[in-house]
Amino acid sequence: MTEEEQNRIYWQGLRDGDKESFFSLYNNTYFHLVRWGLKVTANDELVKDCVTQLFFQLWDRRHKLNPVTNVKAYLFTALRRMLIDQLGLHSRVDAAITQLADEEALNELSYEEIIVRVQRDEEMKQKLHRAMEQLTPRQIELIQLVFFEGLTYEEVAARTSQSIKTAYNTIYNAIQLLRKLLK
Amino acid sequence: MDKSSYTTEDLVCDGSFRNYCAGSDKAAVQFWQAWIRDHPEKADEVREAQRLVSILNARQGNVQEQLEQLKDGIARYDLLKTTIAGQPIPTKRRIARWKYATGIAAAVLAVVVAVWLMMPGRKTVSVPSMVQVIQSGNAPRKTIVLPDGSVVTLHSNTKLTLAEGFGHTGRELTLSGEALFDIAHGGQHPFIVHTSTVDVEVLGTLFNLNAYPQAGYTETSLFRGKIAVSLKGHPEQKMILTPSQKSVAFNQDGRIDRPAADSVWKRRSLTVDPVDHKAKEIAWVRSRIKIEDEPLEVIAARLQTWYGIPIVFTDNETKGYRYSGTFESETVVKALEALQLSYPFNFRVEKDTIVIGK
Repeated sequence: MTEEEQNRIYWQGLRDGDKESFFSLYNNTYFHLVRWGLKVTANDELVKDCVTQLFFQLWDRRHKLNPVTNVKAYLFTALRRMLIDQLGLHSRVDAAITQLADEEALNELSYEEIIVRVQRDEEMKQKLHRAMEQLTPRQIELIQLVFFEGLTYEEVAARTSQSIKTAYNTIYNAIQLLRKLLK
Repeated sequence: MDKSSYTTEDLVCDGSFRNYCAGSDKAAVQFWQAWIRDHPEKADEVREAQRLVSILNARQGNVQEQLEQLKDGIARYDLLKTTIAGQPIPTKRRIARWKYATGIAAAVLAVVVAVWLMMPGRKTVSVPSMVQVIQSGNAPRKTIVLPDGSVVTLHSNTKLTLAEGFGHTGRELTLSGEALFDIAHGGQHPFIVHTSTVDVEVLGTLFNLNAYPQAGYTETSLFRGKIAVSLKGHPEQKMILTPSQKSVAFNQDGRIDRPAADSVWKRRSLTVDPVDHKAKEIAWVRSRIKIEDEPLEVIAARLQTWYGIPIVFTDNETKGYRYSGTFESETVVKALEALQLSYPFNFRVEKDTIVIGK
């Protein structure tokens, strides 16, 4: 069964008021939603709050929900609407909102931008920014796939046409360097 | 590979360690919890590895911890629904029936009747377009329906002042004391509650606002929907609360439990009672007073509020004595006698005041 087929079954369970299905749907989609939200706005607290809020509302409205063919797409859209709403509240004049509100102009943030922006400490932001500049594009690509997208070494190796061992070693060397630079 | 010789790098690069950090794999979580317990000498490496993993995954968090928060929020919301349904507030139910039966025009009339019913001692009933003051006095709880259909339960010694034109040109009011708000979705006007410390902008929701002037802090607890809290005079700094969160703002002149200047305003999770899993923040709606390791000065302020009698201290040492316990349907004298048992002090009742000393 694909993940989406699973999600559809959980969605039906949610509509029937089954809490276990609801929590399984949460477990199945949490990281997809958080990653997607982080690409919209690199504010991890806001994104996590909105995911909780989104599921809270789903549960509250469970008996009014319609069948959905693409559950993940539905959740993405709902989360997006919520983030736009919240960002509007945070600062109505923020240029990001006009950008967000315009479907066409939505630019995804890059991985480096995201990880630097979610750091709250200004010194740490600088440090991390400089550290990432020390890495090769290949190292950054693999780190993003493994740490941010949550892929296994096998999946990374298949996707980047190299051996598992090479992928692992590339990442290991990058981590060694990062650890020194981020002390 | 033998994991007992693991370095920080080894941990970071271990896929199952990352799954443990993310809470995404039960087996990994169990394994690493046990491993960390059995290898206390690796605590520094583990901490550093967790930090690096969190940096590199852009703080995506731990799905199990997040799920627990969601479960908590749902449990509290369910509880609150039953709590509210179980409260003896016949006026509210009567209004609700009229409102749904005869529509909005009748609702305005019903509101006037409700306000009149709730304040039998008052000679005049203000029409909604004028400034209107609602007070609970010594009543432990008082429930009213506002002109816009929102239902508010007032705690004792609480005062609500509706701004001019409430329900017509806007929905703003001022609160002194504590109240539980169930806000009606309100079309074009945002619902705004002002207190001496914070302003709360409401977007269709259920929340508790504790803003007794003498308490030293203002606590806004959210159960459903969302609200934006801003510190008085700083409308640009908004804290958006989601269910089961609260904001705590300490009064500048507050003496009790006052934190350092850099932490006057905080976001916290609601406090769950470990025994009955209920939110401590609305214990007052459930007719009991709960104390969890709090100094006598704070307890006295709460007893004063609960029982509606001023309590003063003759010395500073007594103020710092700490207690825990629950008092249900007891008099203030009985509550103080119970406290005396665990840590002795003296008190006497003088006219309309209780005096506590060594």
